[in-house]
Amino acid sequence: MATQPESSNTFFSSPSKETPIIKLEGITKSFPGVKALDNINLEIYRGTVHALLGENGAGKSTLVKILYGIYTPDKGQIYIDGKPVRIASPMDAIKLGIVMVSQSPVIIDRLTVEENIVLGLEKFNMFAPTRRVRSKIIEVSKTVGVKIDTTTEVWKLSYTQKQLVEIVRGLLLGARVLLLDEAITYLPLEEKSRFYKFIRQFANEGGTVIIITHKIPEAMDVADYITVLRRGKVVGTVPVKNTSIEEIRKMMFGEKSSEITYERLPPGNPGEVLLQIEDLWVKGDFGDYAVRGTSLKVRKGEVVGIAGVAGNGQKELIQAVMRLRHVDKGKIIFENVDITHKTTHFLRLNGVGYIPDLPAKYGVSIENTILENIAIVPTFSSEIINWKRIRALALKMIKEYEVKTPGPETPVKFLSGGNIMKVLVARELTAATKMLVAYNPTRALDEATAIKVRKIIKSKVINENIAALIASEDLDEIFQLSDTIVVMNSGKIVGVFPAEKAKREEVEHLMVM
Amino acid sequence: MLEAIIGLIAGMSSVFLAYYLAALGHAIVEKSGVLNLAIDGVFVLSVAVAYAQAVYTRNNLLISILTAMIVAAIFGMLLAFFVTKFPISHGATGLSMMFLGYGLASLVGLPARNIQGSIEGLEVGYTIDVHSPVWVIVYIAIILIGLGALFLINKTKIGAAIRAAGEDPAAAEALGVNVLMVRLFAGALGFALIGLGGAIFELSYVQVWSEGTGIGHGWLAFAVSLSAGRNPILLILSSSVFAGLVKYMTAIQAMYNIPQDLAKMLPFVAAILAMVIFMATPLRRRLAPPKSLGKIYFREEKERSEKYKKNCFVLDSSFFSEVDLS
Amino acid sequence: MEFPISMVIVRRVKPLPYWIVPILALVVGLVISMMILYVMSGGQTTPYDVLLSIYYGFTNLGLLAKTFALLVIVGIGLLVSFKGAIWNIGGEGQFYMGVLLAAWVALFTGFAFNELIGKTTMILMALLAGAFWALLAALPRAYLNIDEVPVTLMMNYIAYYIIDYIIMARWRERQYGYYRTETIPETTKFQLIEGTTLSIELLLLMITIFVLVWLMFKYTSLGLRIRVLSSNPNLLRSSGISVHLTILMALTISGMIIGMAGAAYLGSVSHNLSYPIEEKTPGYGYAGILVAWLSMLELIGVPIAAYIIGALHTAGINIQIAGAGGAAVVNVFIGSILLTYAVLITISEYKIRIIVKKR
Ligand SMILES: Nc1ncnc2c1ncn2[C@@H]1O[C@H](COP(=O)(O)OP(=O)(O)OP(=O)(O)O)[C@@H](O)[C@H]1O
Ligand SMILES: [Mg+2]
Repeated sequence: MATQPESSNTFFSSPSKETPIIKLEGITKSFPGVKALDNINLEIYRGTVHALLGENGAGKSTLVKILYGIYTPDKGQIYIDGKPVRIASPMDAIKLGIVMVSQSPVIIDRLTVEENIVLGLEKFNMFAPTRRVRSKIIEVSKTVGVKIDTTTEVWKLSYTQKQLVEIVRGLLLGARVLLLDEAITYLPLEEKSRFYKFIRQFANEGGTVIIITHKIPEAMDVADYITVLRRGKVVGTVPVKNTSIEEIRKMMFGEKSSEITYERLPPGNPGEVLLQIEDLWVKGDFGDYAVRGTSLKVRKGEVVGIAGVAGNGQKELIQAVMRLRHVDKGKIIFENVDITHKTTHFLRLNGVGYIPDLPAKYGVSIENTILENIAIVPTFSSEIINWKRIRALALKMIKEYEVKTPGPETPVKFLSGGNIMKVLVARELTAATKMLVAYNPTRALDEATAIKVRKIIKSKVINENIAALIASEDLDEIFQLSDTIVVMNSGKIVGVFPAEKAKREEVEHLMVM
Repeated sequence: MLEAIIGLIAGMSSVFLAYYLAALGHAIVEKSGVLNLAIDGVFVLSVAVAYAQAVYTRNNLLISILTAMIVAAIFGMLLAFFVTKFPISHGATGLSMMFLGYGLASLVGLPARNIQGSIEGLEVGYTIDVHSPVWVIVYIAIILIGLGALFLINKTKIGAAIRAAGEDPAAAEALGVNVLMVRLFAGALGFALIGLGGAIFELSYVQVWSEGTGIGHGWLAFAVSLSAGRNPILLILSSSVFAGLVKYMTAIQAMYNIPQDLAKMLPFVAAILAMVIFMATPLRRRLAPPKSLGKIYFREEKERSEKYKKNCFVLDSSFFSEVDLS
Repeated sequence: MEFPISMVIVRRVKPLPYWIVPILALVVGLVISMMILYVMSGGQTTPYDVLLSIYYGFTNLGLLAKTFALLVIVGIGLLVSFKGAIWNIGGEGQFYMGVLLAAWVALFTGFAFNELIGKTTMILMALLAGAFWALLAALPRAYLNIDEVPVTLMMNYIAYYIIDYIIMARWRERQYGYYRTETIPETTKFQLIEGTTLSIELLLLMITIFVLVWLMFKYTSLGLRIRVLSSNPNLLRSSGISVHLTILMALTISGMIIGMAGAAYLGSVSHNLSYPIEEKTPGYGYAGILVAWLSMLELIGVPIAAYIIGALHTAGINIQIAGAGGAAVVNVFIGSILLTYAVLITISEYKIRIIVKKR
């Protein structure tokens, strides 16, 4: 680390004599209707952790995908160790020691961990039994600080574990550069800190990490340098030591940065009970109870926030409320109607909006256009679709939520991760005329948009008197939004606080207890 | 009684083997994600090729079988190549190949039959004698092949690669699998087995040939394969049931006094029932079809640099767009 | 070391005009099949014979008309389920169930006394029969997640044998002792358009179905749901739409449409059922699959694909009549031309480059 250049100019890190491990020169990439990257110049040095920040659709994912050979740039040149290279496929990238771990793990569910990993290892011939790789995996996973059972099929693993598998795989492939695209944002706290330690150690041993995140404090914690992108251009690169959250925010959002605040939003005015859950028991994916005897009330004009580490039954609870999961015992009452055996369709027609976890998987159909993704929800169209009306709705949503898209006829797959989320959030908030049920409603959104979405939710709760049940792994969100904070742990509710009396330490303690 | 049962078991060994091999081949092809609707055509073609070659070589079984396997393997590789390299429908390609297979089979078989008719006493094929232990060897072979295939598919790197290509070819490519090569391999191996099944069906079961011999039996092998969830070991079970039904159809008909046409339905009804039974049990998860089976897989390729092109002769279909055709 | 020959496929900025590929495929496929036929027939079938019958197949519109119309209907029927990624291979069975019930109406019910009532009932019963046969495969697909490809395929054979049984055991005509049913009464025969093989009723049916299906995909929720079923069923679920029901609808509507084609076939082409059905079938159920696939799942593409396949059918039958080789010539024909078509269809959207490295 001693060789790192000290820079006085915070917007520009002057290159030293050391050759950067990665150098991008004039990289430009256009998609139909947008210039995703516009003449990018960037240098990244060995042994550093480099964070890429920027608002939704700024071009971060595109940049790392180019480095990983998923896209090829229209113009520009990549240099690795000072030599010009052409990265035409992920295999090329891997040969250069570049490995990516993405938001949605690229890994095959029905194969075991060791099978997934052995596929890329050239030193095993095609007819070699897969078990030979086992000891190697165990050895490497120790350095990352995880335990993996290499013979489990991947679909049984949690999201986090899958990403860890990808990282282990990267290391086994001899990664010198790790690209992490929003890969660790939603790791549970504990695993996150273990992961930071690993990243630090990897960098200290001469590795390089490029990390994309929407959390500035996280970037400041883990990175040495921060590069901010905006509308496909580099705004600047700063060493973390010489900067502050405010400064980065300003680089990211310009004027809008002043609107960013984590203060509690104005309180709602809770009225009569709209949703009531009584002694609910729900099974998880693997047949054991994920929700164990939960009872809960949500009133009109109130946000109930469920805090908890991922995998403690929040997802199952939310799905049961939405009637997407079988209820084994207990009751769910909505508007004085027992909906325990009613369908999702019933809730949809009664003004319930739903933002599911993993938006691209459960919330939208990426092959279809924005219009079709709206029209499919029964709230907006009956048997005959009125496209004119849907179009008007879509245009309004695009405008209000600043969705970056060439138009409402664009297939959703061409949008950036955050903009896909915006389409979903906009649709569901419009659909929610009585109640909103959500899981991580601002996941993948940039800070400014996330706060804006929270403000919209809160104002709907206050002005339209709707109820909101929101589970989130992001404590900032829970504290900013909720009127009542509920802590969930191991399928049970372990604490209920009125928001104004809740203490962060106490909630955190209950979450990991 | 026991002897009678053993007799029955021995008697169906050749059909059993033929179905088993063809169904296993089909399973391997589909595990790699290639929807195989060419099976019936290629099966019929292998039947004809094996027959014709047996006539031409005066019943040299080894050569006849090998030829059938090679012809089938070529079809398999073509199918795998087309659906992997081009963004085209597996179904359209497979069915086209099925028609081609039917047609070629007649063109191959008819002249050979004329020759056979002109040579006194030329018989083709090999009948498994139920009194010799050959049929036992057949059964042992089936079990060994089953175990071998199970090991190949579930325990080796190539097996993992085949399944990866069938589950999610794009992800497989990103994980380091050469999907095209893997599917070519699975296509060649699988179709060689289908060809072997066809050859055995002809040479040790039917032993005569007329236009259309074998039609529908490829589909039966398809049904056998799917009703066992493409699992090499369960396949042994399902192909024995089907072989029994086909071989002893006439006897069953007579015994229970079922009209002939309704009896013909039995294997097909059985196949559907088998699938229903498997899917209603916990085996469901293990036997689910590959996720990307029959899905168009297309890897967008990148334009090569000008410098690279200079070193090459380039044959380009793009002249169609340059020539103004309107 | 790099392999000296490689192939690169890149997306075109602008797709080629739609008519280039069919023509090109025809030419290339023809050359291939002429070569195959010439070589394998030992020189008996000359390219000239082949060309002549192809020309005949494509230009004799009167003869082609019925095949075309039936293939359009079956193709549209299959398209409905294909759009939902439900691969209905059971067109043949649904078609023949339609034929069977239409024949039942025509032969054994009193409806034949009046032309309009008779024909309408035939079509309606055929519609129900096709729908029922498809539903039998749709139920296990929707509720037990059993792959519809093998099930629908098996159901074709089951349909064949049921009908064979009914013809022989119940409906066989007594007068001449043939293995077939009586001919349907004159009142139920569809009215042929002069100089063609096409009937007015069939033409109307085809146009109505085309328009209705177009409307369905353009303006109804059901159409959209079927399309989303293929792209992301999870979205259906979280939007509160029953995935089971969508699957049932896709497959049942598909069977309905194909069943109607069966009635039209009985009324305007065959007029009776003869044994064994699996050998007497013109195979529209299978040919329709090719139509649907070759249309690239676009409704507009269905008539084009139906024309090509119908013409090849007619051409093949012609060669067969000329006595150059067995019935299988049709198959070589269809097989090689369609294979080329299936491969070449890509060049309308993609550029294909074959690169041979200079040493
Ligand atoms: N395959 C594609 N086709 C068309 N447009 C695309 C494609 N991929 C990205 N884009 C567009 O390029 C721009 C940059 O997208 P990118 O995914 O790089 O953003 P991002 O910085 O990762 O944003 P987010 O934080 O929302 O993930 C967006 O406007 C997006 O719509
Ligand atoms: Mg992104």
